[in-house]
Amino acid sequence: MAKHESKVVEELQPNSDLLWKTQYYEPAIADSGERKTSFKTQSLRWEIKPVYTQNDLDEIGFDPASDLGMPGTYPFTRETKPAGYRADLWAMTQVSGFGCAEDSAKRWEYMVNQGLDSIIIEYDLPTTNGYDSDNPLCRGEVGRAGMALDTLQDMEEALNFPLEKLKNITSVCNAPQPVNLAMLIKALQKKGKKLEDIRLMMPNTILVEYTCVGRYIYPPKHGLRLACDVIEYCMKHHPNWMPLNVVGAQIYAARGNPVQEIAYSFAMARAYIDELLARGHKIDDVAPMVSFITGIDMDFFEAIGKLRAYRKVWARLMKEMYGATADEALKLRLMSSPGTMSMALQQPLNNIARLGIEMLACAIGGGAHTINTPLYDEAHALPSEEAITIGANIHHIVAHESGVADTIDPLAGSYYVEYMTKRLEDAVFEEMAKIDAMGGALGAIEAGYFQSQLAEEQIAMNTDFHSGERKFVGVNYLVKEDEKREIEIFRHDEAAEQRQIERLSRVKAQRDNSAVEKVLEKVREAARGSTNMVEPMLEAVELYATHGELCDAMRDVFGEHDPNALTPTL
Amino acid sequence: MEQPIRLLLAKIGLDTHTIGITVLAKELRDRGIEVIFSGLKQTPEQVVRAALQEDVDVIGVSCLSGGHMTHLKVLAEQMRALGIDDRILIVGGVVPEEDVEPLKTIGVDRVFTMGANMDDIAAYLRSAVAAA
Repeated sequence: MAKHESKVVEELQPNSDLLWKTQYYEPAIADSGERKTSFKTQSLRWEIKPVYTQNDLDEIGFDPASDLGMPGTYPFTRETKPAGYRADLWAMTQVSGFGCAEDSAKRWEYMVNQGLDSIIIEYDLPTTNGYDSDNPLCRGEVGRAGMALDTLQDMEEALNFPLEKLKNITSVCNAPQPVNLAMLIKALQKKGKKLEDIRLMMPNTILVEYTCVGRYIYPPKHGLRLACDVIEYCMKHHPNWMPLNVVGAQIYAARGNPVQEIAYSFAMARAYIDELLARGHKIDDVAPMVSFITGIDMDFFEAIGKLRAYRKVWARLMKEMYGATADEALKLRLMSSPGTMSMALQQPLNNIARLGIEMLACAIGGGAHTINTPLYDEAHALPSEEAITIGANIHHIVAHESGVADTIDPLAGSYYVEYMTKRLEDAVFEEMAKIDAMGGALGAIEAGYFQSQLAEEQIAMNTDFHSGERKFVGVNYLVKEDEKREIEIFRHDEAAEQRQIERLSRVKAQRDNSAVEKVLEKVREAARGSTNMVEPMLEAVELYATHGELCDAMRDVFGEHDPNALTPTL
Repeated sequence: MEQPIRLLLAKIGLDTHTIGITVLAKELRDRGIEVIFSGLKQTPEQVVRAALQEDVDVIGVSCLSGGHMTHLKVLAEQMRALGIDDRILIVGGVVPEEDVEPLKTIGVDRVFTMGANMDDIAAYLRSAVAAA
């Protein structure tokens, strides 16, 4: 019954969209409709039109001159680096770290030999929650989710591999960050590595922990102070390091949609920035210390829009709200990571395809100095060596075979990409205004706002999967009945816990215990006052005061955060 | 009238991954099950005491850190010690296939890993509690 007009679309200006719709599109679907009753973006559930044109851009007020600029120019929508990935590719990295220090060192040596130049150190739960391995609360967790760390000796042994090939170390130890920073500095010095030859990145992202991860120790305002002490110490002594990575990827992993991820991350960044400004620093010095880690999910265009909006909103925020003028303050520093939440347990080799698509979005969306790949067996257990090799190869395939890294921001000017980018930008500003009205990130955390919003998203996404609205191959679509999970799984060494506890007691037996007692009192004193907490930690770790003892010394002064503040909806 | 099933959802140790239990709590409540949350960072001893106090039919432990064998061993011992090992014990989270049988030997009735269907979990709870 569809009668097609033979007119060419270009002849139908100025209302070609409308005419196309009535004369071509609607007749084409009149008989049997479309594949779905409605098309929506994956996380934001924004309606997707069949086609985007200049009219859509006009409607939201898109102006190429002010909305785009050129690569390396304000507002950096097209890229923060003028030469994009033509000059340098992204640094390639993967998450790792488990067992005792020497296990980790062996694994990192393997990774460096696979061509990776950056490592991320993840610690076990006892460490990130500020306990020693022999604490009874830590049974069964020592060396499990990451490396066990009790004393400087562990850190020295963890770095026992060829350090000359390493460009970046990321160390994930948020709540006890001043202790961890001190251990890294002293261990690198003892290994003879010049501190200026390495870039140390610390998430130091305690506000994310209160929101959705849960590895906190002290109440939020003390957590914020410790984080700012670390930033301030690095600004003074190691200006090329990155002492604050707001891990938006964790907000994503808690099912936050792109608007929530960017708005919450920036609200958190502002809490640190405001504290540092209150300490007398200038925005052009503080802003370059702040960087972000984002999680990239499967919806290709949401992902690309998100990466571009991240850069643009940051530039506008710094310029319009803080009056920053330095280029380095206006440019977003970003690490992107294909999404751990899109890795399926079922038919895990399918995850290699997912990683390829997400890596491609990361490369096209641009802006990241580093891209981290999760691994295809991520959903099963800690990664196998095969998964590590394939993870590294995915980087190289995207970088060298696909061609997407050869021109900068290649999708700029795409009606859909620009529409998505601008809509995301507007929605993020709207959400940030809401958070401002609650007293910023601290207020929103204390009110349980972030936590309950994320819980709603978790439930909504589960409903999408359950109803089949969102398809997940092998999980709710094309499910293989009686699937056998034939996959190489890395097995945790059950004896590691005992070995680690024995190491700890050996170190304690050999050190000068009265000097440790004195330095712990010094730490308490610094905590009571306003001394930068990194300073006493440097002295303390060298005396082999343990990680748990140092965290306890601060517990004595700061108290502890209520562990159930994370779950207001349960 | 039939009594609703009472389920204590628990997080043991330092693992604070809460997405699984947040979704599970909502979905099971929607299916008529009474869900009580233990709170975060609990010891197995605390969980068993809460189960006794709340007189639940089922204890559900969520573990994504890999520490499930250690925690469940202590938890099952405590359940026996307090005489509530007749209650159903289920585990969810990141559990490798080869740990499922050893968990059952310890006293776990059923393991649900990521992607488990909510209807299946609810149906299992009904039949297990009815049979207990």
